[in-house]
Amino acid sequence: MAYKHFEAIEKHVGLLGILIAIFVSIGGLAEITPLFMEAHAVKAPPGVKPYDPLRLIGRDVYVREGCYLCHSQMIRALRFETQRYGHFSTAEESVYDRPFQWGSKRTGPDLARVGGKYSDQWQRLHLMNPRQLVPQSNMPGYPWLATKKLDAADIEARMRTLRRLGDPYSDADIASVPAAVAGKTEMDALIAYLQGLGIRNEPTPATLPTATVGNGGAP
Amino acid sequence: MSTFWSWWVMSLIVLNLGITLFLFLWGPRVKIPTLPDGTTGHVWAHGTLREGVRRLPRWWLLLSASMFIVGFLYLALYPGFGNSKGVLGWTSHAQLAQAVAANEAKLDPLMQRFARDPVEHLADDPAAQQMGRTLFDDNCAACHGRHGKGNPLLGAPNLTDNDWLYGGDGKAITRSIHDGRRGVMPPWASLGENNVKNLAQYVLRISASPHDASRAAAGKPLFATCAACHGANGKGNQALGAPNLTDQVWLYGGTAADIEASIGNGRRGQMPAWSPRLSDGQIHVLAAYVYHLSHENDAHGQ
Repeated sequence: MAYKHFEAIEKHVGLLGILIAIFVSIGGLAEITPLFMEAHAVKAPPGVKPYDPLRLIGRDVYVREGCYLCHSQMIRALRFETQRYGHFSTAEESVYDRPFQWGSKRTGPDLARVGGKYSDQWQRLHLMNPRQLVPQSNMPGYPWLATKKLDAADIEARMRTLRRLGDPYSDADIASVPAAVAGKTEMDALIAYLQGLGIRNEPTPATLPTATVGNGGAP
Repeated sequence: MSTFWSWWVMSLIVLNLGITLFLFLWGPRVKIPTLPDGTTGHVWAHGTLREGVRRLPRWWLLLSASMFIVGFLYLALYPGFGNSKGVLGWTSHAQLAQAVAANEAKLDPLMQRFARDPVEHLADDPAAQQMGRTLFDDNCAACHGRHGKGNPLLGAPNLTDNDWLYGGDGKAITRSIHDGRRGVMPPWASLGENNVKNLAQYVLRISASPHDASRAAAGKPLFATCAACHGANGKGNQALGAPNLTDQVWLYGGTAADIEASIGNGRRGQMPAWSPRLSDGQIHVLAAYVYHLSHENDAHGQ
């Protein structure tokens, strides 16, 4: 290359723009594409099942109400996080989350393993009005959830859609929806979802993919 | 990462660093045609401003060169170059394991000393109180309140009053935390609304609270049903977690309406088991902290 080549690039803004775009995209191609393509290879570990009907709609209520705007579901591999919230989160645990709820905003605490930490009644009172349990809380109340009944047909449609995307729901699973959500409210669904978070899929050294297990410095 | 994607990443890194390194090394050496006056001939403002040609400043060259060195060193030491693990073999999980091990080693002498002390004795240890306070805020305060005063909405007992549902010695407190507790007051609405009201007045009577005497008298024979758990005198039974009804300490509130609700609908308060979340050592320290809360209150005579 000689000076005239640089001159050609500098004096043709279109060419300069195209070359800049190519160069800038190298970072994304290297960092994002492999993870994006390999995400499909992530398999559910034993103990991680697709959401049952009540928890599934509870998850959708969680997303609809924007809980993720203040609560992450991603325990990072840092001591002060694992000490407070439990085992760090792994990608495998979220295979049935569409979209995943990892989040990066923590106005409230992380919820990745909140399941079972409080009683159902605590969750109910807390969602109605958090300040009757935690006076300092700045979380809004969600009292309307307690009055909204669930629609079985809607949940069945969601499960059929997820099945098309690859979630292993059987016909029997979908047929079980009306019985599972009869008389239940969105509040019940959200509580069922929260109470299931993280408790049945805490990874053990045996279930962790070998690449992620550390043993004193050597992978 | 599969071999294909590993090579993909490596080639992109080589391409990127290759081009930038080439530009860095070659750019300063390129021969730029100049006019006799030493400028490039690029002019602005009718020739008032002209573009000269100068060597790049040394500080800029050194800074850029050091960036390249840092980049190459990083790729050599840490994971990043395709599937390379890096010379250091660093992983975030190993770093976490090290941090946890270091922390445990630091706390180990303390935890061993705590473990030797029975709960009742450990309650006076300032170091245990400090650790217990942190654990309490993180795990217990959501129901029992930051000051351990409890919450009648949940039936979360006041932990500062030395009045105990399941016993207040170190063993009982430890067990309550470790295994959780489940209230089992059945609903008695089947007795009829009137009988529930009478019973509530009787309960108010045995707790020496203001009550309706005639209703209380009518409720007295019905209390035989309650006596199975709460005892004939209503003094409760710590083996079952049946509260003492005569002491004016109310788990779910002590108004007639509260008591009627407790009788009519039953109460199924639930304390979660903490053994899945906390270590035995942490539960031991927490039990001592709770013991301290209730006995500190005694000392101050509140």
